This record gives sequence, structure tokens and C-alpha cells, in this order.
Amino acid sequence: MQNKLSFHQSSVSLEIIGLPDYSNNENKDQISIISQWKLTIIDKPLIEGKIEHLGPIMNAFYIYSNLLIKNKIPLYESKLIDIKAENLNLHNIVLKSSKPNIKPLILKIGNSLLSDTINCFDQLNESPKVRIKNTYDINNIPKNLRFELNNKVRFFSFFMPPFIAICSLILFSSSFIYFYNPVENIEKKELINPK
Amino acid sequence: MRKSYVNNNIKVKEFDALIKITVEMSRYLYPYIREILRSKEDLEENSVIWKDFNNRFIELISERFNVDSIRVKKLLNQAENDEIIIKSLLTLSLCISNQGYQKLKNLLLDS
Repeated sequence: MQNKLSFHQSSVSLEIIGLPDYSNNENKDQISIISQWKLTIIDKPLIEGKIEHLGPIMNAFYIYSNLLIKNKIPLYESKLIDIKAENLNLHNIVLKSSKPNIKPLILKIGNSLLSDTINCFDQLNESPKVRIKNTYDINNIPKNLRFELNNKVRFFSFFMPPFIAICSLILFSSSFIYFYNPVENIEKKELINPK
Repeated sequence: MRKSYVNNNIKVKEFDALIKITVEMSRYLYPYIREILRSKEDLEENSVIWKDFNNRFIELISERFNVDSIRVKKLLNQAENDEIIIKSLLTLSLCISNQGYQKLKNLLLDS
């Protein structure tokens, strides 16, 4: 008996069918071996495929949405899926079949359906009941860490004033060496009052 | 950009707190955000929501922001602000998951 899990977000639902990995002592509800998945978008043809296809399709959606938000050229192309922006509100998705002589499936979705789909993928990624490998790491550390720079600036502003103060105190007090020499003074006193 | 004479730099903790509030708000308001985006997709059939939102957005910007600034003027121009509004709404709609805070933070730091 296979397990079935569904993730819903407004007009999109994602269904995952599979089995738990009993060799890993997993619960009966868990899905680690995915046998089938179905992505249903209202008013669009059903998208389904093997487990090998789910990872690349999820990655494609994540990468494309990131390009879109970051004002880069919104275009993603691979052997399995192409996503291209037609305009600000419409996205063209071309799903290519791995089987020969089958025409690619072309979908046109808007921003609302795009966000629904990605939110379904997010739910799948965050679900403790499904273990899925090779998904796009959304927590990749950005290169531009302005706030770390700010922290460095704060560190310097905290330590530099007392450091400069101590240095200036040392320099200022070292100049007094020229005004007062205790050894010379003792010698002078000895000359005035020879015992 | 804001109508303020005090130029305070935001602290890291305040930045984090603002992101958390934004993510929580967008999670709560997701159905509305989605409807605004959908309204923009087919303006011929359903333009009321988009127009209402755009008018309110312009009202708030002109009320609270420094309208003499060029960047603010761009936000107020209805012909130019579409892209900024759509991308902002899309960003918010993509950050409603449990990892939304980290996602939004990375997007802001990386932009």
C-alpha cells in the first residue's frame, strides 16, 4: 500500500505518492521512495512524472523565480523544462517529454499561479513526512553581506576611540621625560651639599 | 526617501525584526496579494482590485515619502511603477513558507 501526500496552495496542488524506507526504520506515514508525483494547476493540463523529473522541475521554478525577482533576465532552459517570461505578468513553461515523438507541453501561467506553484514546492520541501533530495538550496549565502560590513564598522568605532586615547596619553606623557631627569637631579644635589 | 530629517541607520536586530513582521504579514495577507497579482494579469476582466491597490499605494507614498526625490517620483508615476509593484508583491508572495524569513533576508541582502 503506497502513501499519498497532498500539498495545496490556492489554485495549485501537488500530490506525492510513494513508500517509506523500511530499511531506515521509518514510520508508515513517511515517503522516502517517491514513485509518482502530480502537479495540478486549475484550468491547465495535469503535470506528472517520475521522481527524476521532480527535482529538476522544482529547481527550474526556484531558479526562474529568483532571476525574476532579482531583475536578471528571466530565462531558464534545460533538457526537461524551459521557462521564459512573455511579459511582466505571463510566463511560458515548456515541458519536454523524455520519450521520443511526444510533443512538448506548453503552459502559460501568471504571477499568481507561479507563486502558488512555488509555495506548493516549499510545503513539500518543509514537510517532515517526505524526504526529497537534490532540491535548490534557498538558503544559499549571498555574496553581498552589507550588514557584516556594518558590524565591522561598528567594531572599529567601538575599539578605535579608546585605542587612540591610550596612544595619545603614552605619547603625551613620554614628552615629560625631557623635563625631568631624576638621576641628574640627585647628582646636582650631591654637588651642592658634598658630605 | 521618507519624509524625515533624521537619518538613522537601521540596526541588524531591527532589520531582522522588520523582515519577520513582513513575512508574517505577507503570510496572513497572501490571498489578497494573490488577488492583486491576478487582477493585473487580466485587466480587461478584473481591473478593479489592481486599480484600487495602485491608487492606495500612490496615496500612501505621496503622504509619507519625500515627493521631491527622483526615486519617489518614479514610484508615483503609474506608467513606471508597475514593474516595481509587481516584483515587490511577487517577492512577498514567495516568502510565506516557514523558511520565508531566511528567503526574504537572502533576497534583500543579495539584491
